[in-house]
Amino acid sequence: MQSKQYSVKVYECSIDDEDEFISFFNTNYTLFKDHLILINGELSDTIKDYLNSKSLTFLNNITLPKGRTRKALEEELNIEKRECDIDKIIAKAELEKLSNRLQNNLTVLDEMVRSGRELKIDGDLLLLNRVNSGAVIHTTGNLIITDVVEGAIRCDGNFMILTTSSKANVLFHDVEVDNDFLADRLSRVELKNREIVITPVFKKETNWVS
Amino acid sequence: MGIVIAVISGKGGVGKTTAVANLGLGVAMNGKKCAVVDFDIGQRNLDMILGLENRVVYDMVQVMDGEASIKQAMIKSKVDENLHFLAASQSKDKSVLSSEKVYKLVKELKDNYDYVILDSPAGIESGFEHTIEFADAAIIVVNPEVSSIRDADRAIGILDSKSQKVKDGGEVAKYLIINRIVADMVQSGEMLRSEDILEILDIKLVGKVPEDNGVIDASNQGKPVILDKNSIAGQAYKRIAARLCGKKVEMKDIEVSDSSLFKKIAGIFK
Repeated sequence: MQSKQYSVKVYECSIDDEDEFISFFNTNYTLFKDHLILINGELSDTIKDYLNSKSLTFLNNITLPKGRTRKALEEELNIEKRECDIDKIIAKAELEKLSNRLQNNLTVLDEMVRSGRELKIDGDLLLLNRVNSGAVIHTTGNLIITDVVEGAIRCDGNFMILTTSSKANVLFHDVEVDNDFLADRLSRVELKNREIVITPVFKKETNWVS
Repeated sequence: MGIVIAVISGKGGVGKTTAVANLGLGVAMNGKKCAVVDFDIGQRNLDMILGLENRVVYDMVQVMDGEASIKQAMIKSKVDENLHFLAASQSKDKSVLSSEKVYKLVKELKDNYDYVILDSPAGIESGFEHTIEFADAAIIVVNPEVSSIRDADRAIGILDSKSQKVKDGGEVAKYLIINRIVADMVQSGEMLRSEDILEILDIKLVGKVPEDNGVIDASNQGKPVILDKNSIAGQAYKRIAARLCGKKVEMKDIEVSDSSLFKKIAGIFK
């Protein structure tokens, strides 16, 4: 794409008396011939013909953006730049926090969590075994459990992926998740725009009675 | 050197003591020297079920305190001379036990018998913890109902964290007995299936025992049900005892009742 930038001189006026306008333009023609003429209000054919005959460029009833002083422009640019920098710093910190939580604080467990056991995990947890009735799992980070959950789950992370039985008690950010939605299939529970969204990861295949 | 087996359940009333009496006798009938010890101090029952209540002179606490020797305190069974029994104290409570005393007692029994079977008290208090502390293996008795399963699950969790063998880096072998199965109720879905129980507890199954009214009568008379050749529960205990002695006995599917089997066969000819 090619583009050019111009500064154009504009003469803005409105017409009350057509004869007066024509005589004014006749006397000051040299002054206006390089201007863009902007006319507010109604434009009659006589005026149009007159302007065309003088080969003047004109526009009718249009608001043009008004230029600002250089100083004002610079100030605005500075403010924008500063805000952008702050945004960048915040984004970087958030990203660091997230990657720390994802990489440095992941616990992987392959043991049955039996009744009466209370697991408190600071960070993420990947559990490859069952959570039995009467056990409690509490994570500050994300939670993935690949086997059936019958115990209590407390998750404060961004998401959790699990399957529950009807005995389970699941709290996600202190909100109780109805375990009917999580029964019999692996489901993903996450927070989107302050709403808890549950989506099945795999739909369970229906076993037809043969 | 013998093997120490703790019989635990978590929940009370599921048939621990009955299982101990029958398995003890069953193991003895297989020709192994077997000692059964009642660890339920303050609530001893095993002596009655074995029919030895009138023979108790010294109890376990007296042995631990050095008031009697093990030889004096062990009671020989009338039914099988390989079976010896050590009674719990009825007057004391669980607080008299300590790790050192229990270790000394268990060690001495282990040196003198092939099998030492400990009858744990219900619950998960200190009495239970002392029972499992020096066990090599545990038999977990459950009933096919959710509360029993959860309590057993909790008991297994404690077994896996507090027994001396685990603390030394080993593992306690765990075997499951599902007691009081009613085939019709399993078939109709009212009772938990053993597959479901095994999935929850994740331990090896050593046997299933069907519900049998004869058990109560046998306990009241002090003749363990294993002696009754017509009892289905007794036969189940006989199979489990044989398995404990290392014999290969096929698992009998007691969850299929005769009536449902009949229905299936009838269905073929329809």
